[in-house]
Amino acid sequence: MTSATYFEDVVVDRVQLTPAITVTSAHVEMYQGLTREMATESAGIPDVLPLCMAIGLGWRVKDPPMAVQAFVGLEWKVVKELRVGDTMHTSSRIISKRPMRDSGLIVDERTILDQHGEVVQQARFTFLVAKRQKEASA
Amino acid sequence: MVDPRRYFDEIELGEEYESPGRTVTEADIVIFAGLSGDYNVLHTDAEFMKQTIFGERIAHGLLCLAIQSGLFTRATAPYATLGFGGLRWKFKAPVKIGDTIRLRAKVVEKKDLDKPDRGQITLDRTILNQRDEVVQQGQTDLIVRKRP
Repeated sequence: MTSATYFEDVVVDRVQLTPAITVTSAHVEMYQGLTREMATESAGIPDVLPLCMAIGLGWRVKDPPMAVQAFVGLEWKVVKELRVGDTMHTSSRIISKRPMRDSGLIVDERTILDQHGEVVQQARFTFLVAKRQKEASA
Repeated sequence: MVDPRRYFDEIELGEEYESPGRTVTEADIVIFAGLSGDYNVLHTDAEFMKQTIFGERIAHGLLCLAIQSGLFTRATAPYATLGFGGLRWKFKAPVKIGDTIRLRAKVVEKKDLDKPDRGQITLDRTILNQRDEVVQQGQTDLIVRKRP
């Protein structure tokens, strides 16, 4: 039984949708307590919070969790403000994979959408993902 | 009452800031795992991590990114920020439980936006640990209100 998705198992262009989560004022208060990032002028939630929650949602897809060894890079764009009570989910697409010796780099494009299907944020995560160990693949 | 916020017009290219330090604790990591739903073994399984090159649990990359966002507000007088535009970011080294991180930031670009009441401020940002090693680095774009 496979307990992780290794570099070899990652399929470029495959799209996966995550479950959704409603962003509550409790999330915002926890986030602000943790980071001491004060609210901006708008009444929206801190922009980094949906990004953090998008990572967690990514672990809730059907596939076994990707064997991530390190988080390498991030490009991120805020398209639209999310507000308390909105329900977000993400769509994930692997846009490239580059093999290295014992691992490889995966670029995962994640789009955060609200309950109306409107794009809220877009991010490209670069992960270092382990290759399957030789004895395990024999 | 005097408005303490700094507006787009008042922020100058080349301004530099350095934040106080903040020690990243086990509690921070546990809370962030609960908040984000990211329970990856890198952050939550002490026994598994003993067998890895890190030797122990490491903080989530996004936890430190979020903490630096808060440290920024302690590094300078508050900007009249409307929100983030985006960022380009590299995670260069792990942050372990007990490490103390701080932020260095510099204003490198200002530009007007389509809406006349706001502009975009781009900052180079570097997160350093207690040994002055760079743990994260990148550029952030903030949308900042112009003085009415």
